[in-house]
Amino acid sequence: MSEKTSLNYSYYPGCSLHASAGEYDQSTKELFKTLNIGLTEVPDWFCCGATPAHNVDELLSLSLCAKNLELAEKVEGDLAVACAACFSRLKTTQHVLLENDVKRKQVEKAIDAPVKLDGKVKHLLDILARDLGLERLAASVKKPLAGLKVACYYGCLLTRPTDVPNLDCTEAPTIMEKVMESVGAETVAWTHRLECCGANFTLSRPGVVIQLTNAILESAKTAGADCIMVGCPLCHGNLDIRQKEIEGVFSTSYNLPVFYLTQLVGIAAGLSADKLGLDAMIVSPARLLKEKGLM
Amino acid sequence: MKKKKMVISQETMDLDFVRKVEILSDTSVRRCFQCGKCSAGCPMATFMEHPPNRVVRLLQLGQWRRILEGRSIWYCASCETCSTRCPNKVHLASIMDALRKLSWDAHGPSKESYVQLANKLFLQNIRTYGRQYEMRLAAVFNVKSGQFLKDLMLGPKLLAKGKLKMFHSKNKNLSEIEKIFSRIEKMRKKGEAL
Repeated sequence: MSEKTSLNYSYYPGCSLHASAGEYDQSTKELFKTLNIGLTEVPDWFCCGATPAHNVDELLSLSLCAKNLELAEKVEGDLAVACAACFSRLKTTQHVLLENDVKRKQVEKAIDAPVKLDGKVKHLLDILARDLGLERLAASVKKPLAGLKVACYYGCLLTRPTDVPNLDCTEAPTIMEKVMESVGAETVAWTHRLECCGANFTLSRPGVVIQLTNAILESAKTAGADCIMVGCPLCHGNLDIRQKEIEGVFSTSYNLPVFYLTQLVGIAAGLSADKLGLDAMIVSPARLLKEKGLM
Repeated sequence: MKKKKMVISQETMDLDFVRKVEILSDTSVRRCFQCGKCSAGCPMATFMEHPPNRVVRLLQLGQWRRILEGRSIWYCASCETCSTRCPNKVHLASIMDALRKLSWDAHGPSKESYVQLANKLFLQNIRTYGRQYEMRLAAVFNVKSGQFLKDLMLGPKLLAKGKLKMFHSKNKNLSEIEKIFSRIEKMRKKGEAL
């Protein structure tokens, strides 16, 4: 294996990681420090516009992302993105602006600068599985997650759309499973790993969100999972924060802790619950982790 | 709503509008051969009166008013399953974006204004603060939509877990974001962008 000891990235956390998903931000920084991967936050990054921006104003959405890509150029290294929605938007913007001259000219006018499209945008999964490599990831394990059955939930935006060069196969991705298996966990085969949780409607149509999220939780439970792993703060919000509410509405019990990928890999790397922000989870993982001898 | 019979004639077909949708979404509705894969995979199709494949069919026939009168476009979750599975590369998720934008421009608040309200507040937040602050977004949404008690029970739990930030700072380079918004507005006024 070549000596790629110094991996360094510019880091775009996204708005959620500075608010409701603080533990994702914290566990990412802690895990990357342990794995010796450098992260430097992009100075004064803006919101990428997420789904609401492109929903009603594509030009604005492209301009916001182009501006962020420009800001990211100031920091050395490829751009590491934690949130699936930011990841999808930034990648899509690069793709659209490369393909469509008219839109590129409009965006250049809007941000009053030439757009820079050569920087690489990478999701944390990409960095762990490909840049660091599964072998090195496995070598960093101090506490294998033996016996833990994980349902890997991709949600919608992590692997879409197809025409944009992306993380993994759109319809049958395996990257999350590979990462989990390399740190010793078991993964379950389940039906809803690519279904949408309806994150865009969290505010405006909670009734819809509850139905969609219930189907996901039910599928994971039926497949025999102990917990769910996600790579997106919006999925996490629905699956974790709304889980109690959903159990009430559908008179059922799931009790499925929902981890961020950096939290599970962090546990395997021997990081403490404190450092990974595990007590910020609404559905407590304490009993599960104790049962499996992991905490 | 009573169903109106569809009459297809040169008078009722408005292809100029469809052309605008095609430019905005950078895709062609004429490529669709109605296999229905988009609707089969759509998690929101059960909530729509026109499922995704029918939205495209209506566009092919120039019957866009039927789409904008309904709620389908405001129930699309933008998960992009449709675009991913289309064998003819019709980018349906982008078509939905274009339709929402044109509806927003032409009609202002629609029957489905909660979704628009949420989107609008989201964009306003970016313009004022540079970033999104969920607590602020949710609070203002509840006040403006008159649902003061919505998700109130979640509040204390989230606060206890440190998931809601009461205070936040503005970006230092906030003037740049304001410039982007106003430049886009200017371009639209001059007709340089749709």
